[in-house]
Amino acid sequence: MNAELKLFALGTVGVTLVLAALLVTVYGAETGRVLQALAARTPLLLSGSPDFSRFEGGFAANIVISIWAMAIAAVAGTALGVGMISQSFLIRTPSVLVMNVLRNSPWLVVLYAMLYLLPFEIEAFGSVFSFSPMIKAIIGLALPVTANVAEVFRGGVEAVPTGQWESARSLGYRRLQILRRVVVPQAIQFMTPNLMTTYAMLFIGTSLVVVTGADDVLSVARTVIASDGAHYATAIYLYVLFLFFIFCFPIAILTRWLEQRVRVRQ
Amino acid sequence: MTLDFSWLLDPLYQKWLLRGIGTTMLLSLLGMVLMFVIGIAGAALLHLKVRFLQSPVTIFVELFRNTPPLVQLFFLYFMLSEIGLTLTDPVTGGRIPLFTGFTCVVLSLGLYNGAIAVEIIRSGLLAVPAQTVEGARSLGYSRLQTFRYVELPIGLRMSIPPMTSNIVSLIKTSSQAVLVAVADIMYGATQIMLETFRNLEVMLLIWVIYLAIASLAVLVVRRIAAAFRIPGYGS
Repeated sequence: MNAELKLFALGTVGVTLVLAALLVTVYGAETGRVLQALAARTPLLLSGSPDFSRFEGGFAANIVISIWAMAIAAVAGTALGVGMISQSFLIRTPSVLVMNVLRNSPWLVVLYAMLYLLPFEIEAFGSVFSFSPMIKAIIGLALPVTANVAEVFRGGVEAVPTGQWESARSLGYRRLQILRRVVVPQAIQFMTPNLMTTYAMLFIGTSLVVVTGADDVLSVARTVIASDGAHYATAIYLYVLFLFFIFCFPIAILTRWLEQRVRVRQ
Repeated sequence: MTLDFSWLLDPLYQKWLLRGIGTTMLLSLLGMVLMFVIGIAGAALLHLKVRFLQSPVTIFVELFRNTPPLVQLFFLYFMLSEIGLTLTDPVTGGRIPLFTGFTCVVLSLGLYNGAIAVEIIRSGLLAVPAQTVEGARSLGYSRLQTFRYVELPIGLRMSIPPMTSNIVSLIKTSSQAVLVAVADIMYGATQIMLETFRNLEVMLLIWVIYLAIASLAVLVVRRIAAAFRIPGYGS
């Protein structure tokens, strides 16, 4: 953990200093006033409300979207991953195809496509569900991430020695039973770091939901810039960079630490 | 739901799409060049343990890897226009901004994927067998010569699989160019959507085009990898 802690300290302090230096370089003597303006807008950027009364927009919305998208992608990706290692040609080929298509498509294009592909509202079970921009954003982000999760799942399962499969087979387990009771419990340690990287990537990707009209941190930032003047644009974007960094960097460090631990244990 | 692709026959739309594909490819190529320059330089500085430069490189890598390329792009776009560097056009004598949207996109692609490339190339360098490095040293190569003639060529070949996905990621990320009004393929698509209202069809076509560009890139990288293969090192 020591090397990671050092890196964490270096990264946090260093990046904060670099961003602060950039702020001072751009604004010079005005820095104090700009910082005050940033402080006044902090609640809006973080929670989407001017006084932290609700957490429906801003950076909180990014976190909510990322968690829902990851939850959907985890379920769908596991199913797709099981399909990709299926013995039946009829299941394996389409699964691999779907995975490749989803993995190679730009997130922005998928998000745009979801805007138009998903209906405004659907009627099911006698009630009407409407697709808000946020739900469209969640589905649009979950799709490409599903492919990543499926790939991680397959990689993790393949990292478990084949002897485990054979011995479980000789004990009379069926294929799906082996997967559930023997292989996946052992594969989870290989999957965890990669899943965390996938989540960090997804979180970075949530910056794109600004195009769906969801109330995320970038659309709040744009509103703030529109009301306070383009002069503040640099400062606001520096602040948003800092927010994303503070959220994603600890995940990256934790991932590296877990990877080290898995490697040492082998 | 019926899909109507008849708008594709319009020569104007074809021109927009083709020009957009050209711009996207140019953006991606320039971004890749910058990515390799940053990746190799950064990995070399970290690998050779250059004093006083290791920490700045680490901070640079962590900053650009852990923040969204879109925010980086907006930041570059607004900061560089705030500083307001301009060039004098020799033909018209007018002043044009040095950092246009296009330049900012190339910069942000190069910086984000370059920061990832630093890590990729560095782990490729670490995967070079120690015996090979020691062999080169015992033949009298200096530390720099070993790096230049032994470690880097082998390390780059070792890093081909993760680098392929990084290149695909760069091509995918280039679609954000539309958000700073660079006339790439997404821009052409939005123009067509505004005129025809065939939103879904246009988006599906763009999706397919991006898949084709990404697959083409993967094929090219495979060809290059096969041409430069050294038997015994990597696959």
